This record gives sequence, structure tokens and C-alpha cells, in this order.
Amino acid sequence: MPSLPRVAGTVVISKLALQRVFHNLRDAGFSLVGPTVQDGAVVLEEIARIEELPLGWTDEQEPGRYRLKSSGEPEYFGYGVGPQSWKKFLLPPRLGLYSAVKENGNWLFQPPQNSAPHYAFIGVRSCELHAISIQDRVLLSGEFRDPHYARRRERIFVLAVNCGKANSTCFCTSMKTGPRVTGGFDLALTELPQVFVIEIGSEVGSEMLRDTPWEPASAFNLSRAAQVSERAEREVERRLRTDDLPKSLYDNLEHPRWDEVATRCLSCANCTQVCPTCFCVTVEDTCNLKATAAERTRVWDSCFVLDFSHVFGGNIRPSIRSRYRQWLTHKLASWIDQFGTSGCVGCGRCITWCPVGIDLTEEVNALREKAVR
Amino acid sequence: MSVAISPADVRMMRDPMLPNPAVIRAIKPEANGISTFSMEFVDADEAAAYRFQPGQFNMLYLPGFGEVAISLSSSPVEPRVMGHTVRVAGSVTRAISRLKVGDLVGVRGPYGSSWPLEKATDKSLVIVAGGIGLAPLRPVVLSILHQRDAFGRVVLLYGARTPGDLLYTGEFDQWQKGEIEVHVTVDLGDEHWRGDVGVVPQLFYRIRVDHRQTLVLTCGPEIMMRFVIYEALARRIPKDAIVLSMERNMKCAVGFCGHCQFGPTFICKQGPVLSFAAIEPFFGKEDF
Amino acid sequence: MAEITPWQGGFLANFSPRVQEKLLSVAETFQYKAGIDVFHEGDPSLYLYIVKSGHVAVEVHIPSKGRRTILTASPGDVFGWSALVEPRIETASARAVEEAEVLGIKGGALMDLCREDSALGFEVYRALAEVIMARLIATRLQLLDVFAVG
Repeated sequence: MPSLPRVAGTVVISKLALQRVFHNLRDAGFSLVGPTVQDGAVVLEEIARIEELPLGWTDEQEPGRYRLKSSGEPEYFGYGVGPQSWKKFLLPPRLGLYSAVKENGNWLFQPPQNSAPHYAFIGVRSCELHAISIQDRVLLSGEFRDPHYARRRERIFVLAVNCGKANSTCFCTSMKTGPRVTGGFDLALTELPQVFVIEIGSEVGSEMLRDTPWEPASAFNLSRAAQVSERAEREVERRLRTDDLPKSLYDNLEHPRWDEVATRCLSCANCTQVCPTCFCVTVEDTCNLKATAAERTRVWDSCFVLDFSHVFGGNIRPSIRSRYRQWLTHKLASWIDQFGTSGCVGCGRCITWCPVGIDLTEEVNALREKAVR
Repeated sequence: MSVAISPADVRMMRDPMLPNPAVIRAIKPEANGISTFSMEFVDADEAAAYRFQPGQFNMLYLPGFGEVAISLSSSPVEPRVMGHTVRVAGSVTRAISRLKVGDLVGVRGPYGSSWPLEKATDKSLVIVAGGIGLAPLRPVVLSILHQRDAFGRVVLLYGARTPGDLLYTGEFDQWQKGEIEVHVTVDLGDEHWRGDVGVVPQLFYRIRVDHRQTLVLTCGPEIMMRFVIYEALARRIPKDAIVLSMERNMKCAVGFCGHCQFGPTFICKQGPVLSFAAIEPFFGKEDF
Repeated sequence: MAEITPWQGGFLANFSPRVQEKLLSVAETFQYKAGIDVFHEGDPSLYLYIVKSGHVAVEVHIPSKGRRTILTASPGDVFGWSALVEPRIETASARAVEEAEVLGIKGGALMDLCREDSALGFEVYRALAEVIMARLIATRLQLLDVFAVG
């Protein structure tokens, strides 16, 4: 048997053998980041060993509610998406843009000394892969391209995972972003009770199985892997109708529902922080006391922040109503005109992490109803 | 991965946020609290290569204070020295107002869309400006004067709050000599003012237009532009022959930060110059 | 004769009974709860309105500053005259300040009446001109800012 599986093939490894894959990734210079339990949630952090994955954990998600609990199953990936997304690494919350230094009366603008690690993303779900692809369009496909994003993006290794279950807040099937991973990965895992079934997506992916005991996947295992995805798909309950977008939102900018949701929305910006496609940023300026050195730092921003729309004399969107409307119409309507796809991947994070449990699928349906004043 | 960027591609990618140093060559007071700052890139090659179209803007960086988007108000025919007419509106513009000749700023640009002068050659052009809104339209006037025969009738309707707020008044004689009809008004006169008093849209009543071949270019406070559009529509000027320049909060000017969005339009990319026909569904929507 | 209610003593009192009847024949009554818009700036202007009860604020929206009231219409007052002046687009918004009932005279139908019946047309536009002139004089006074110090 050849020592490495062929690309586009599917193999089976024992679960513990995943540690060998981690090892190979480390040796190849990748920094592994993946899900781990911290402070009662599954977050994305640097990991080295498979024991750091949330083995035996599962999650319950509902509008405004997230709880981890023991699943009783020896599963490494038996939960949905947590509050963080991979944009934490590709579009870091704080990034030095450049510094300005005064030398001999001249200002010199110097690029930052940021290091861009080679990330290996462990456990990427299908909706998250689509979200990365959506951010690619925003930051890499226009007249201007973001080199900071490009540097991080170009280097990533993607070890994707096919979801084994759906949370109540998931609606990837409506957005055609899952539950099964269909491309854009180096390796894609489906977890079965004893083994991982792994699709090889690239040469590099194949390389990472060096010295790992693997076998070609049997028809039986392929069938069981397919059933895992089918089960996850059946479990998706939430739906978002998309065929009339963007028009149905553009036509209802004065609908009374906006007033109603504004009585609940706190403008806390949680949704924009947990959303894997939200990309808004701002720039902070600092300088030393002698004004001979200054720095510019890019930081995450949110359209829910009052000053986001500040112009001379005031703010264009002074009310929560106007800011919620901006967020929802951008995410589900204007994004389509801007970038050719919806801005939403149906991951459900905004629904889970909204402190008052606002559900955008419910809001859009209400906005479609004929306005009764 | 789903996007094809090669390592070589990435290495070559220039950061669009990085400015270049430029030196202030001249400062000219124009009106109450407003001056034009003319600057030139320090690097000789950058200075020689710089070009812009009327309506575009640069991002001006004051280290320690921040960046601000300011329209170019100088002549596109002489692009080497870039003129920016600046009104104090916040901490960055206040820092700019304290600059002296010889000081350095960071500049990157030009960005944004431009006034469709190519559509004006077979039409009458009506330029309607309010307050500092004349600044991004001055390059239009200068371009026309440079090539007067290429254009037909050109009218300027301009107004500001008080006589002390009017820009470029010293140039109006020259513009009129260049066969540009200039009509000026103020909202509130003073004891010396002998000109018109009234709001800018009212100046439409001083001219006659053939709606079939008139192009309107307008820039000023959004509420003024709403009423200018109203007057233009009342004269049956088609929606795609009414062009305006919009303003929104800008942090990057290259479509990454999300701040300047107006519906699906990024003011920094598809704007700031936009045809009314293109934005009609959203223009005038409250708090949008 | 029936007692003239305050609103009938306003704009409608300018007209002869014959003309009043014709105006009412192309009119409808609308009710608005407090805070609800009667129309929005930029909307096609379809009706000439007369306030029957309550109060309506005519407002202009200034981006980043919100809505400013430029006029308050009381019972008998007319507003929304853009319905009779091209390009027949509302130049301001109107909002019921408290629960209000308004009479809406269909603009298109009224203009047809004015064309067919020039005597009626003259009465309507003359009455309208008087209202608009009174408003203009008031606006000029506002503009002169006579209370300003210095």
C-alpha cells in the first residue's frame, strides 16, 4: 500500500491516530487552533493534543441560551459552533496597521512587524467554510485587497468536520451552506463511534497522514458517514426563506416591525461579534507624548455602535431601530447586491448569543407580512 | 483553498492603507474657518505620477490624530500640487487647520467615483453647490475652463449661509469671463451684502433649462440636495441626469471597514459621486 | 343650518356651499393614532388634507439631526398642497401629534374638477394662494430670526 492516500480518496483512521495528524501538522510548521472548552463554552484556541478537544461534550442552543453538557459519548466533535469563529484568526480583533516615526523632520510610515502564523484550523464546519469564502469576496476580490487578510488566508490548513447533529438555532440548509462539507478543505472528517472517515482534499492534506495507520474507507463506513450528515440535515428545524431577498427587505424599510424589534434590541453588538461574516472595522490612533511617533491599529467595529455612522453634526443612525435595520438589511439584502451572495451562512450564532433572543429568521418572516398600522 | 492567491501574489500585495508623506506648499484662507491646503508628495516620482478626476478624494493622515477623507478642490490639469479645502469639523480637521507651510501629512488616493463630464459635452450643465459643497465641484469648473470649447452652456448656482461662508469668491469674475454663468445667494445677508438672499434651490428660478438636454451636478448638505433634486424633477429633468456627491463616515476608503455604506452602495467605491437614478429607492429614507 | 364645527370654519369656509359639496364628493376621511405618519417626504402627493380634529405636525428630516417641525396644523388648517402643484411629490412629512382625523381631498380628482369648472378652479387656487402667502410671510419672519441677540 502506498504510504500516502490519494487526493479525493476517502480513508479511515482510528480516533487516537488523529494525534499523529496533529503531530505532522506541528512538524510542518503549522500552529494548530481548534475547539476547546473554556468558561463554559467551546472556544477556538491553540491546541496541541487531541485530549484538548471537547471530548464527551455537547451543547444546547436556543435563542439567547447556550449550555454545555456531558454527552456521555466518546465524541470529539459532538457539538455545534461556539461563540467564536475563524475570523478571530483571519481578521484579528486588533491588528497593527503601520507606525509613523518622525526622523529629521520627515514622517516615515512603516509597515507593522505582525507575524502571520501558518494556522491549521481544526474542526471547521461547512457553514464556517462558506463564511470564510464570503469574507474572501469582501477582502480579496475587489479593486483593493487586504494584504493582512491575504497573508493569513493563504497559509491556512483546513481540517474540516461534518456536523453530526444540528442545534435548534442552525439553519444552514436554508442558506445552502451545509451540513456536509463539499469543498475548500485539506481534510474533512466525519466522526463515527470508533473511527474517523477522512476525505482527502489536497496534496498537503494527504501529506499530513504520513506515518498514520490508515485504510481505504469501506462501502460500509462510507454509508455510515453519509448517514451522519443525513441525520444532521434532518435535525435542522429552523428555516429562512430566501427566494424573495433582497427585494422583500428593500420594499419594507418603513415596516412597523422595525419599531417592534427596536423595543427588544439592546444594540449590544453581540451578534456582529459572533457572526463569522461581519467584517466592519475601525482604526484607532495613538501617539507618544512628544508627537514623534504614532501608531494606527485596526480593531473590530460594529454597525450597532452609535458612532459608527458619525458625520459632521451628528449620527446618521441615532436610533436602535435604524441600526438594527441597517444590520439586518445589510446581512440579508444589500450584501447580495454587493458581493453576489447572502452575507448569512445560517450558523445561528446571532440567535444563540443575543441576550434577548432575537431571531433574524422570525424577524424576516414578520417583515414579509403585510403591514397593519 | 476556495480563493486562488499564490504566495507570490501575497508578497506583491501593497497595503492600500499605507500613506505617503506629502509636504504643505501653500495655505489659502477661503471663508470663515475654511482654508485650502495645497500639498505635494515628498517623493518626486509619486508627485509626478499623481492624477485624479473631478469629484475624487484623498485620505489625509495626521499622525496621532487620524485620517479624514477630503475632496480634491484643485485642477485635475495640474495634479502635482493637490488642493484640499478643509472645514474644521472634528479632531483631525482641527489638527489640519493648525498646519504650517512645510509641515508633513500622510496622503493616499485618489479614491471614489468622479463627475461624469463626458456626459456634459452635448448638454447644458447646471452646477448647484451649497457651502463647502463647491469644493469637490471646483475641479469641474477648472476642467471646463481649460477646455471651454468642448462644453456648451455652463451655469453655476451657488449659495452659503452667510456672505462670510462663500468660497472662492475671488475667482467668480474669472469664471464669468470664461463664459460660466454664476448666480450666488446667501440664506442670511449682512449690512454689506447686495446680492441675492434666498436658499440655493431657489436659484433655479433665475434660469431656464431645456429638460431634454440638461445635466445637473450638485453637492452640499443632504437636505439642500433633496430640494435641488425636487426642483430639477419639477423641471422634468430625467433622474439619470441628476448627479450628486454623498458623504458618509469613512475609515478606510477602500471598501473594507463597512462604515460608508448607504444601502448596497459603498460611498468610497461606487460613490461619492452617484446618479440620483441609481440611489433613488434609498435617498431621503430617514436614518438610513 | 347645522352648527359649523371648527374645522369647517377653516379652509372650507372660503368656499360657497356648491363648491364645498363638490370638494367633499372627491374626499375621504382618515384616522391616525398619535405618532403615526399621514405621509412621508418623497411620497407621491395624492391628497390635499384638512385637519378635522387633533393636530398634525409637518416635519422635515435632517440627516444626523432627526425630524424638525416646521409647522403645526390645527382643525380647519390645510396641509399637503403639493397634491396640486407639479411634480406632486411631498416635500415634507406629516405626523399626527395626537389622535387626529383628517379629510383627504383626492388631488387628481380635484385638479380634474378645476379644469372642468373654471369658477371652482379659481376659488380653489385663490384660497390656496392666500394660505400659502400667509405661511410665506410667517416663514420670512422666522428666517429674519427677530429674537436673535446681537
